[in-house]
Amino acid sequence: MVQERVTRDEGIYILIEKIKEGDREAFMTVTSLYQKKVFLLAFSFFHNREDAMDVVQETFLRLYQKVNMFQKGKSFQNWLLQIAKNICIDYYRKNYQKKREFETGKSIEEMNLPLQNKENPLDSVDLKTIFSRCLKKITEKQRMIFVMKHYNQLKYREISQILNISLGTVKSLHFKAVQNLRAVMAPYLGRQE
Amino acid sequence: MRKCKKYERDLVAFLCGELQGNERERFASHIDKCVRCKKELQNIKEIIASAGSLKPDIEKAMASVNWEVLPSKITETVFKKAPPSPRKGWLERFLGFLFLPKLRPVYAGILLGVLIGSLATFMIFRFPFSKERSEGEFFVSQDFLERIELEMARRETLDYLDKSQYLLLDFVQSSPEKGREFWKSEFAFQKARNLLSKKKYINPQLKKFQMAKAKEICDQIEFLFYELTQINDQLSEEDLRRIQRLIEENQLLLKIKLLKKELQESEV
Repeated sequence: MVQERVTRDEGIYILIEKIKEGDREAFMTVTSLYQKKVFLLAFSFFHNREDAMDVVQETFLRLYQKVNMFQKGKSFQNWLLQIAKNICIDYYRKNYQKKREFETGKSIEEMNLPLQNKENPLDSVDLKTIFSRCLKKITEKQRMIFVMKHYNQLKYREISQILNISLGTVKSLHFKAVQNLRAVMAPYLGRQE
Repeated sequence: MRKCKKYERDLVAFLCGELQGNERERFASHIDKCVRCKKELQNIKEIIASAGSLKPDIEKAMASVNWEVLPSKITETVFKKAPPSPRKGWLERFLGFLFLPKLRPVYAGILLGVLIGSLATFMIFRFPFSKERSEGEFFVSQDFLERIELEMARRETLDYLDKSQYLLLDFVQSSPEKGREFWKSEFAFQKARNLLSKKKYINPQLKKFQMAKAKEICDQIEFLFYELTQINDQLSEEDLRRIQRLIEENQLLLKIKLLKKELQESEV
């Protein structure tokens, strides 16, 4: 397992060196290897295909511009996802902040969601829509950790490296993210928090 | 309850498989025993399960992208847009390291330390702590010391003038023959020598501005004693009389008397 990882890492380092020299093929190979991971992170964060595609494009452009800053010996995937995370946050602040300011003042009911059925709450509402909107109501950092953990299937250790925070902080922020989601979703799960 | 609080933060980590080894075992055994935590775990499981509701959408979005073509499209755009940034030199990398955001607390700490240190130094110099005096030590002002020195000089000079006066009086009042005998005697000779030595001792004290007048007269006395100690058999009566006359003419004894009076009155 370790041997396999070392070989894979060595392969990436070689590709990175080639990209530094301006090798298109190497760049295309790296893009094809990591495009899905970046897309997954961006789509889970925005829940919007077009925005996710923009983030993917911007991430690989930034990768090419900053490739000389990558330090050999570190995880390339974590470094790339760190770039993607930064772009997601910037993109969100640029394009979603006003919308969010408008929406944070509203309750979920006001966000044009169907009313719940008191006998069986989740039958009458679209859980996907509720969850998606509730996810947008928690803080950027908590949302990023939640997305990385549940959709990108990353380990706490990897998340801590990408976000440059301690393992304990990741654990704590993940717990807070779940607690906040629970509080926001409580009425739709048919209980009072 | 306190124990539950301790485990509360591990609930999510446990469900996501992030607890390992002993930590996981301890948590699992607590959950088995604690009804409250078991219920809490169930609630959180429900929230985490609802995260799965987005998965079909994600899969749909993933399927809608042509992953075969995307890399070449991205590569085309990227290579058209921007060349890679040049490799940074060691100086740039070092400066980059110096200005890392994570070092800000360190700089803030150093700045705070410098500020506190400066403030402490300022306070110490502004309000110095009173130095405790050890037993037996005493402190006097410079002015007081000068007054003491002046008083000592006055007393020493008075003593010198006193002794000189008696000796000169004896000499002046005696006849030339007796005068020669007097100066040849061990008593007078010794006295004169002592007074010459004393004069040497009080010389530095006489240099003070306040003692200028006394110095002049003391110098005359010194000169006279020096002459008298040289008296020997070859000295004629005429010479002795001349010395006696010199003392009388110069009114040396009177001057001594006046000076003594003056010094006694100006007691410090």
